[in-house]
Amino acid sequence: MGNINSKGIKANTFDAIVIGSGISGGWAAKELCAHGIKTLVLERGRNVQHLVDYPTMMKDPWDFPHRNQLTQKVKEENPVVSKCYAFREDAMHFFVKDKEHPYIQEKPFDWIRGYQVGGKSLIWARQTQRWSKYDFEGPARDGFAVDWPIRYSDLAPWYSHVEKFVGISGNKDGLETLPDGEFLPAWEMNAVEKTMQKRIMDNYKDRNVIIGRCAHLTKPKEIHLQQNRGQCQSRNLCQRGCPFGGYFSSNSSTLPWAAKTGNLTIRPDSVVHSIIYDDKNNKATGVRVIDVHTKEMTEYFAKMIFVNAATLNSNLILLNSTSSRFPNGLGNDNGLLGKYIAFQNYRGTLSADMDGYLDSYYYGRRPCAVMMPNFRNVYKQETDFLRGYMVFFSAYRDSWGHQVEVDQMGESFKMSKTEPGNWGVSMMMQGETIPKETNRVWLSKDQKDEWGMPLLSISVDYDENDEKSLKDFLNEGAEMLSKAGCKNISTNDSKQAPGLDIHEVGGVRMGKDPKTSVLNKWNQLHECPNVFVTDGACMTSTGTQNPSITFMALTARAANHAVDELKKGNLK
Amino acid sequence: MKRRHFLSSMALILPMAVVSTEVLLSSCNTTDLEEKGFTEDNIKLLDEIGETIIPATAGSPGAKAAHIGEFMKVYVTDCYTVEEQNIFWEGVNTIKKESNKKFNNQFQKLNLSQKKEVLNSLRNEPDKGSAENVKKGTGDAIQTGKGAENKENANSGKFFSMIQNLTVFGYFTSEPGATKALRYIQTPGYYKGEVPYKKGDKAWAT
Repeated sequence: MGNINSKGIKANTFDAIVIGSGISGGWAAKELCAHGIKTLVLERGRNVQHLVDYPTMMKDPWDFPHRNQLTQKVKEENPVVSKCYAFREDAMHFFVKDKEHPYIQEKPFDWIRGYQVGGKSLIWARQTQRWSKYDFEGPARDGFAVDWPIRYSDLAPWYSHVEKFVGISGNKDGLETLPDGEFLPAWEMNAVEKTMQKRIMDNYKDRNVIIGRCAHLTKPKEIHLQQNRGQCQSRNLCQRGCPFGGYFSSNSSTLPWAAKTGNLTIRPDSVVHSIIYDDKNNKATGVRVIDVHTKEMTEYFAKMIFVNAATLNSNLILLNSTSSRFPNGLGNDNGLLGKYIAFQNYRGTLSADMDGYLDSYYYGRRPCAVMMPNFRNVYKQETDFLRGYMVFFSAYRDSWGHQVEVDQMGESFKMSKTEPGNWGVSMMMQGETIPKETNRVWLSKDQKDEWGMPLLSISVDYDENDEKSLKDFLNEGAEMLSKAGCKNISTNDSKQAPGLDIHEVGGVRMGKDPKTSVLNKWNQLHECPNVFVTDGACMTSTGTQNPSITFMALTARAANHAVDELKKGNLK
Repeated sequence: MKRRHFLSSMALILPMAVVSTEVLLSSCNTTDLEEKGFTEDNIKLLDEIGETIIPATAGSPGAKAAHIGEFMKVYVTDCYTVEEQNIFWEGVNTIKKESNKKFNNQFQKLNLSQKKEVLNSLRNEPDKGSAENVKKGTGDAIQTGKGAENKENANSGKFFSMIQNLTVFGYFTSEPGATKALRYIQTPGYYKGEVPYKKGDKAWAT
């Protein structure tokens, strides 16, 4: 572990420490710094500066030696991360390689990580929908996990707060199941999608088809221009980092904004070993940090600590933060830490063809799909499985990839390939999963990484509810595509392992009762209230929405509460 | 013969053997019909095969101008499994042999209809699966030519899909292919869901 260096206690003391610089850590830093809180952000990965460290952002397809495909060597060395759709030649430098950071798969789990300043906010899929009241009420109504300690009305103003700054495109659709937000102009549907929207909504009175909502600046406002961010240029090369700041990331938005206050210190290459707990004063006093390069351990101190290391790593840090008061991990009196991990079910996809519409095409590349908010078990239990799923679909005309019926070589073959193909449709699910005690993570007792951190053991799996939900989606999806006029409909179960959804949540769940939850309604550890966990680890259930905007809103809410508490003298 | 046998069994075991034999072989006999490896001659041959599949036309250059042989060298070497590389070279050698057998000449020196005849002799049924796989963007089709499951001549059938997909992929992701045969705009500036399309308008490259 190296020597502990506590010499410069004063130099190493801040008002707040934020562990992690990804989508939620960036928000914690921004909110705290804005209130004059001297904040240290610790990031275990390297520094990535907006624009400066996006080496591939302006490259054309032919600039990549393998035209953006993966080599055999990369695939063989990275059986896990190479499954991720965004892990390609153009962005693989923003993903953790399998060998670099091993973990233990008690059951198959594809753990996709981004260790750098900005974390996965650089490479996220940028889809942003609010939770509805039905999502927060789900666990209590259906009797799983524990009741959320907050409701939609608690979070609604904080959704607005973050949406205004992030910049979210969308329509005001007026749906209870997917509340409207502070929207920039929406993306358009194409001709086939408009037809499908009408036919599906005509056929199903309980179902809505709307355009996706995403963190792209369709028409920047003053607040976005102040961040030096510009309009999304419809390149759809986002995972490389955007030269225009067209999508939201910590790097383009919250971190530089926090830095402008003069209150921010970022320390990259800093592996957080554990949180320091003071048994005498019953509070956390700081964190122990291992330098990635020197492996020397240094302590940093603060009045409050935000844990935003991404779901499973936040669990790891808390489990590793042992003391005589907390021998099983910080705040873990009830033994629930690391349990009730959940994720989202992405296994079901459909594809189909749509005849006609050959006089219509589109211009530019849209960063979102068409969306159908969950229509299953919304108002009451109706099916043989709990909860439901969001449906996404899009229609497109293939470029050169489409099949050609003419000669298989020569001029006519080439000319057919240069024209767009007929319309195709693809559809996918994003299903809620039910958190269970058996879906859990823990620390290996004997295996450590090169920084001396115990490896994380992961045991997370699907259950019968997920299988039923998947089956329902495939049936309903096929029926909806058929009613929308599609042909050649085919269904597919990818059977992908949990984790590849990159929507893992839980393990440090929020709740009302310290006996059955780890965090309170302000994301404070029940047993150590100057530690806040506001990333995916805090989630009591998963919803059917893409999770990041909810992490951001929860973080902003908790950070502002922390500042209030500090001012009142409740956090010392 | 013994030497060749030794080298091809090396190729089965060691992924890089196919590449490293290049120097050895080219220094011995550059006109060897069973020659493997991306020698200058073989790259020229691949350019000619590619050009037969995607020729220069009035509006845009062909696969040769996109340096398809050089592309195949990089792609096949780095992105193909050993098994796929073997199918690739077996196919290339079949082309050489068929050219000799049918027309008593090298593929490069045949006229266009002769070239097509040689390539067509490697085809089995029209390949449906490969287009599907390319569409999914998995890259599998480019590599394996999935879909050609004809039992007889399975490998040459696979090879035709393979070389066709390799040519199509390499050409349309090249600068001349993307910018001249298709419409390529790195930075569209905005998105419009509906624009008119008339037959003959080019597809978007990306």
